[in-house]
This record gives sequence, C-alpha cells and structure tokens, in this order.
Amino acid sequence: MTIASWTQWICFVALSAGVVIGSLGVVLLPNIVYSAFLLGGVFLSVAGLYLMLNASFVAAAQVLVYVGAVNVLILFAIMLVNKKETLAEIPGLPLRRLLSGGVCAGLFLLLLRVDVTTPWAVPGPSPVGNDATIRIGIHLFSDYLLPFELASVLLLMAMIGAIVLARRDVFTVDVITGEDVDQALIEKMRTPLLVETTPTQNPALEATR
Amino acid sequence: MIIPLGALSTLFAEAAPAAALPPGLGITALQLNAGAIAPESAILIALLVCLLVDLAGEEAASRWVPPICYAGLGTALVLLALQWNAPVEPSFLGSFLADNLAVAFRAVVAASTLLSLLISWRYVEQSGTPVGEYAAILLAATLGAMFLCGATDLVSIFVALETLSVSSYLLSGYMKRDARSGEAALKYLLVGSAAAAVFLYGASLLYGLTGGSTGLEAVGLALQTSATPVTALALVFVLATVAFKIAAVPFHQWTPDVYEGSPTPVVAFLSVGSKTAGFALALRLLVGCFESFDAQWKVLFTVLAVLSMTLGNVVALAQTSMKRMLAYSSIGQAGFVMIGLVCGTEEGFAAMVLYMAAYLFMNLGAFACIILFSLRTGSDRISDYAGLYQKDPLITLGLSLCLLSLGGIPPMLGFFGKIYLFFAGWADHQYLLVVVGLITSVVSIYYYISVIKMMVVKEPQEASDVVKAYPPITWNLTGMQPLRAALVACVLITAVGGVLSNPLFNWANGAVAGTPMLQQAIASGALSSAVG
Repeated sequence: MTIASWTQWICFVALSAGVVIGSLGVVLLPNIVYSAFLLGGVFLSVAGLYLMLNASFVAAAQVLVYVGAVNVLILFAIMLVNKKETLAEIPGLPLRRLLSGGVCAGLFLLLLRVDVTTPWAVPGPSPVGNDATIRIGIHLFSDYLLPFELASVLLLMAMIGAIVLARRDVFTVDVITGEDVDQALIEKMRTPLLVETTPTQNPALEATR
Repeated sequence: MIIPLGALSTLFAEAAPAAALPPGLGITALQLNAGAIAPESAILIALLVCLLVDLAGEEAASRWVPPICYAGLGTALVLLALQWNAPVEPSFLGSFLADNLAVAFRAVVAASTLLSLLISWRYVEQSGTPVGEYAAILLAATLGAMFLCGATDLVSIFVALETLSVSSYLLSGYMKRDARSGEAALKYLLVGSAAAAVFLYGASLLYGLTGGSTGLEAVGLALQTSATPVTALALVFVLATVAFKIAAVPFHQWTPDVYEGSPTPVVAFLSVGSKTAGFALALRLLVGCFESFDAQWKVLFTVLAVLSMTLGNVVALAQTSMKRMLAYSSIGQAGFVMIGLVCGTEEGFAAMVLYMAAYLFMNLGAFACIILFSLRTGSDRISDYAGLYQKDPLITLGLSLCLLSLGGIPPMLGFFGKIYLFFAGWADHQYLLVVVGLITSVVSIYYYISVIKMMVVKEPQEASDVVKAYPPITWNLTGMQPLRAALVACVLITAVGGVLSNPLFNWANGAVAGTPMLQQAIASGALSSAVG
C-alpha cells in the first residue's frame, strides 16, 4: 500500500469511528447538552466522509446547514428550556431498553442485508467528482437562474417577517387617528351577548339542583 | 438565439462527463427572454421601494406606501395586458412560460392583490401594525403566486410555492398580539410545511423518472413511457399538494382556523390570489404532465370536487362567524371550479378561468363589506348584522349583491360563471358532478340568503346591539376612500358584469386558445373519446 492509500484508510477509520462513537453518545449520554454537541461532531464526521468521496459541495452544504444551522438551533432550544427538573422513574426501564435495542439491531441487520445483496455497480453517468461544484454553479446561472433569483426574494421576505414578528417596539396609537391600538384582530372576541341571559339562567340552574 | 429546453437538456446529458457548458457561452437577456417576467419585476421594484420608504418612519410609510403599491401593481397589469397573445416562447431556458393561461391567472392574482391592498390600509392602521412591511410581504406573496402561475420547471415551482407559502404564514400571523392570529399562523405553517415536504418528495420521484431533468416537458415525456408504482406515488403526492393549496376536502382542515385567525384583508387575498395560483399549478402539473394518467387523476379530482362541494356548503350552514362562513363557502366554490378541471374540454378550461375572474370580484366585494362592517363595529358575527339596512345601506346593498352572486342568482356575474361551468360539465357527461353542484348551490343559496335576511328583514327594534350603537358613517380617515372605491368597483362589476359578460367570455376563451399546453390536452382528449 502506498502512503496515499494508507492516509485515506486512516482518515476513513477515524471519521467512521467519529460517526459511530458520536452517535452512540448522542443516544446513550444522560446529559442533553453533551448529546447536542456530539451530534455536531457526527455531522462534521459525515461531512468529512463526503469530502473523501470527492463530493466537496455536499460536504460544504452539510457543514453549513447541519452544523451551522440545525445543530445551533438545537443548542438554542436546549438553552431556552434549560430547567432543572427531576423526572419520575420510568417503570420497567431495563426491559424497555432491551426491546428498543432489539428493534434497532433488527433494523441494522436489515440494512446490512440490503447492503450485501444489492449489486452496487450499476451503470450510469460517471461521477464528476470535484467538478460538481462548477457544474452546480453553471446550472445556477443558466437554467436555474429564475429559481435562484426568486430564492433571494424568499429569503429577504423570511428575514423581514421574522423581524416583524420578533421585534418589541409596538405602536401604541393609530398613527392617523391617535386612538389606542393593541395589534390584535379588529374582530374582537366578545361574549357580551351572554351577559343579559346569565341572570335568567341562574334560577334554572338552581331549579335543577 | 433562444435555446429550447430540449436542446439544452440534451446538451447537458451529452456533455455529462466533461464540463457541462463551453466556458465561452455567455447568456444574454435576449436569450433568457427576460421580458416575460417584466410584470413581476414591476412588483419586485414596488416591494423594494416600499421597504425603503418604510425606513423613514410610520407616518411616511402610511402616506407613501399605498401609491407605490398601486403604481407597481398597475404597471404589472398593463405589462400583462401587453403580453396577451404574444408568441409563446419559453423564458429563462425553460423555467418560465408566459402563455395566455399564465397571463390570465397572473392578472387575476395581481388584481386580487390590488383589491386586497385597497381594502386593507385602514384595517392595518387601526390594528396598529406596520404598514410598510405588510405591503411588502403581501407583494412578495403576489410575486410567488405569479411565478407559480407560469413556472414550467419543478425547481421553479417549488421555490415559487415556498415564496407564496412563507409570505402567507407571515401575513396570517401579522396581528402578533392576538392569540387567534398566532394560532392561525402556527397551524398554517405546520400543515403547509408538511404539504411542501410531500411536494418535494413527489418532485424528487418525478426527477428520478426523467433521468436528470426538472423541466415539466421532460417530466411529461417520461411519464408517457413509465407506468410503475412510483408514478402513481408521485401523482398522489403532487395531487395532495395541489389539493392543499386550493383547500379541497379532505385537505381543507387548515382553512377555517386560518381564515378566522388571519387579518381579514389577508383572508381576502388567500381566498382568491393563493387559490388562483393553486389552480394554475393544478393545470400545469396535472393537465400538462400527467396526461397519460388522465383517468386516474380525474377520478381522484371528481372525489375531491364532490367532497368539497358537499362539505364546504353544508358546514357553512352552521357557522355564526362571517369569516368562517366565507371560509367554508370558499371550499365549496373551489369544488365548483374543479368541475371545469375534471372536464378537460375547451369549455371546461374556459369556464375555470371565467369563474376565477368572477370569483375575484364577488368574493373581494363581500370581503370589502365585512371589513368595513368590522372596522365600524369590531364584530364579524352574522347575528350582529341584524337590521343593518337602517344604518348602513351601502354595506347592506354591496354584501347582498355579492352574496347573491356567490350563490349563483341571476343576473349576477356568479350566475353566468356557474352556468358555464355546469354546462361544460354536462357536455362532458360529468353528470354526478353537475348534479351535486346544483344541489349544493341550492344549499349555498340558503346560507347566503339567511345573511341577507338578517340584514334586511329585521325590524329596527330587532336590530342587534352593535347595529343599534352604530357609529356615524364617515369616509374622511386615510384609507377609507380606497376601501370605498374597491367596494363600489367590485359590487358594480358583480352586478353589471353578468349582463355585460361577453368580453369576459372572450377573454376566458382566448386564455385557453392561446395556451399550447391546454390545446394539446384538449386535442388528445377529443381523440381518445372519439376512439373510445
């Protein structure tokens, strides 16, 4: 074996170990913060595997989307609901663990079987490797130009909408009439029609008692 | 030089192992045929200017945003009129097609936004929410809907659909201090995201079937040769998305809650603009691509139409809130339009286009009236309308005419639209649909008339407390004049348009005649019926 293939082999083993150990940690560790950080590690290792397969664009997208957005969002959610709480002991925990472990092992065996029995060497267009990024760029600026530009409008609107919904400054008065406003629907929820019927209902209620 | 879609995709396929395109291939605006999206560009410019003006503060925004929106949407409508009957050439290398169908549906969408904006200024001001962002988000929704009407590529369809949907979620949650508005936005977001995911799954299956192309033409070709279970799955997924967008039963559960919790002008837009885009999507995908699965999707759509007409119109009977009643009525109305889609004949498609245009005016007229009523009284309960004719003849007259038209009473515009739909259905032997349509129309007339009876027949002493305490009628506040103009225009067109509907008929027929995709479907449908 050459040095290059040795390096590749070592990288593969390291990344795979990262994925396997990391995901086991995500599932098994009792502290949810450790799980979230390990999940980020798993995503990064998967991105590394993509890199080894010459899919650099997918690897970059994996890091940007999963590590940069999804995982950070999960951490935010954990931080926002970080409340000390003693959970009640779940009855029959070992049996439940055994059962779920069995189901997972079954699924794993099924996957292994598919992996072994499927002929993977299907004929098809040969992968373009690292030229894929160039190809995607050409597509984005030729036949996918319209959706690409429209996506910018979508993102702009999503950003503005998020700001509108989240910002705290509230107009307390109508800018034209100067009346008080409450940023609620004009059609108010009302129950005043029941007010005059309430006294008449009371004797009936007491009669039924 | 314009590269046709087919040539381009073969270019990509052949050059697959090497670099895709020769590096020197410059693409100019002429090749892109970018003039096809000139109306959308006008709206986009109006959107950006609205956002910039909004930086100058709320007073400046409430002064300048309305004229900017009118200018943008008016320009878009003029540019759309110029595109009418223009030679059909794919633009953006096959992502967009400005045929007459797209022009007609985009015009309906733009007009619905214009009318919704006219009736919304006072509502937005009175609720104390920012006007500039409101207009910008509504214009973005319009942009998405208009692109959806003309998109001929799965990726463009998805991005346009998401632009429309995300803007709609934001708009329905725009009254952020109101729990009902928040509930509406969250429900719409969750159900809408599920529908988008389903569409994406269906689209990925279609992409796989074509072997590497996302153009609808290629999808249609691939579907003609494959009859695998995957195709049926893709059909079901795509159909579910379309049914969600047009709120057909059983994909309608979001509608009543979203309509009740959203700001009323937004509901007006959602019930017309968003639905129009949904029908355009249905035509492009089902008629354009799934032609070889004609029988299957028509059966499914017959079921959807019967369920929508029945459930929409029957449940509307029991509603006490005006907005909820109009929500269920819009489900029923979508069922009527589906009759034209199922026919697949020239008359069927023309009747669809005609009914969407008629629905635009009568539904927005009704919404203008109920917005005016809720601005003055803060209520949308049907029982609060009792005895209104004494205090506010304009609302009473306008709402009565629009509701009669929605019910299909001659000589309103809605009557001619509906009779054309039923006629097309009967001519195509869709007897079940037409009979169900007729029966549910009678049911719908019952609940529309009961609102009119509430307003007109009650004696002054029987009037509701709200009407007894009715404020004096004034039009001098900013935003009331546009509301009045929109109300009067919609009511006039609804009332008189029926008698003078010949231009509308010609327009609808022209929309079908100038659309190669529909002509092809009609021809193949006539051929198969002649063979069968």
